Amino acid sequence: MRRILAAALLVLGCASCAKHDEKLQLALNWKPEPEFGGIFEAERLGAFAKHGLAVERTGGPGAPVVQMVTAKQVPFGIASADEVVLARDRGSDVVAVFATYQTNPQGLMTHAARKLDTLEALLHSPGTLAVEPGLPYVKFLEQRYGFGALNVVPYSYSIAPFLTDPTLTQQVFVTAEPIAARRAHADPQVFLVAESGYDPYTAVVIVHGDMLRNDGARVASFVAALREGWRSYLDDPGPANAVMAPLNPEMDADAFRLAAEAQKPLIDVPGGALGEMTAERWAELAGQLQRLGLVKDVQPAASYFANPR
Amino acid sequence: MTGDLWRRAAPPLVTFVLGVALAELLIRALDVSPLILPRPSAVWSAATSEAGPLLAALAATARSVLAGLLLSSSVGVAAAVALAASPWMKRAFYPYAIFFQIVPIVAIAPLLVIWFGYGPRAVVAAAAVVSVFPVIANTLAGLLSVDPNLADLFRLHGASRTATLWKLRLPWALPYLLTGLRIAAGLAVIGAIVGEFVGGGGLGVVVLGAMRQQRTDLVFAAIGYASLLGLALFAAVGLASRLALRHWHASEGGER
Repeated sequence: MRRILAAALLVLGCASCAKHDEKLQLALNWKPEPEFGGIFEAERLGAFAKHGLAVERTGGPGAPVVQMVTAKQVPFGIASADEVVLARDRGSDVVAVFATYQTNPQGLMTHAARKLDTLEALLHSPGTLAVEPGLPYVKFLEQRYGFGALNVVPYSYSIAPFLTDPTLTQQVFVTAEPIAARRAHADPQVFLVAESGYDPYTAVVIVHGDMLRNDGARVASFVAALREGWRSYLDDPGPANAVMAPLNPEMDADAFRLAAEAQKPLIDVPGGALGEMTAERWAELAGQLQRLGLVKDVQPAASYFANPR
Repeated sequence: MTGDLWRRAAPPLVTFVLGVALAELLIRALDVSPLILPRPSAVWSAATSEAGPLLAALAATARSVLAGLLLSSSVGVAAAVALAASPWMKRAFYPYAIFFQIVPIVAIAPLLVIWFGYGPRAVVAAAAVVSVFPVIANTLAGLLSVDPNLADLFRLHGASRTATLWKLRLPWALPYLLTGLRIAAGLAVIGAIVGEFVGGGGLGVVVLGAMRQQRTDLVFAAIGYASLLGLALFAAVGLASRLALRHWHASEGGER
């Protein structure tokens, strides 16, 4: 009994000491790469510190970021806009506060030698399509174009099958796999999913609704610091890439440079500040997900996101 | 007979009902988000409302599991007979059989897809790889524990090696093999689902898709169907073992 009490005290004690040292955790959903360039640049510039925040990165590939933020295990996380809509439909109160990619960087990659010039032609040609099971955009593409004679198989984060199969199409981030494929002497052709009309904000920062309501000033500081980081990274990705490269040995300096170049037009769009979102796009996304049968109800667009100032 | 059945079925049913009720109450009382842990009632409604696709996926997984078990039991018995042939064989090869026990199936499953292509063949291979070791280990133990007096008797009557194998050693090893199969059956279900994560099809893809769409209720429903498959296989091996051993072996004859 006494031991249980002691353990309980220890847990309570630690919960309060965590509050004291004020480290704010940010859960990433992938390895360090240019997708997170602005975060590393904000750290490097001391932008978070300037706004009175101590930010600590956590998470990584496979981290259940939406669940972590839902359970308030971490205050900040990286997810995609469709995950936010799905999670809110399942009763979670996560809210997006900053959208890195204004255009979704996800796409389908096949071999240029197949001479297919549209997404539709690609999806109607016989071959293999390697995608993670359950991806909303795959369901959207299937509903919009039909999959014809495609053999749909799971994607397991390796471009090896693509390199050996001339009729294989796979999911990609335009900033990652196509660059790796080119360097492995393949000649890939990439179609952005956004061309189909399905274009969720991607690499969005999410917080719990309670945090936004009770600690809105801190969320606004975080977003301001992150925006400074991204502005600087877009101007010169070199220094932050040099910080990230040792943390992700699978990509070399050249791959970092090419990825940062490839993503720039998807992040830095004319009009509107970096990371800002609009109600129209959230409403459109929620409507699309509802028509796919993935969410029951469409919530008011303002509940999905905020542009903290 | 009914009374007997009731006496066997009641305890697990009671623990099941109590466990589910307790989980439901706790999850409601603590207001846990369905994203983190779904209520049993939500899992039940997913299991019934999506019964069609779940049953189709279960059938695909079951086919791969059965094919994998068939493969691992035949390969496993053959390997055990070979290893038991001489102490030299055992010393030379048995350490490598242990590879199959510790192989991290999650890590090699993508390779199985490269070797066998997408689809059921890679899934069957994954099920076979993880389930072969208990068959080898148990059958080998059986083959090597033959009563020396009986072996002497066979030798005294000038029985050939083949006759000794078929009439003495394999029957002697049968109860051991059946115990190995019970372990292998559960492992084969795990192997098949992990294989499906990368090879495609069946409950594995349902689990991945449901995770991606944050349908934890459907994830648990799919796991429930997989458990039913495991239970059915366990029961089938139990039945086979009762039928095969009841007339002569203490392990099945003694329960009266």
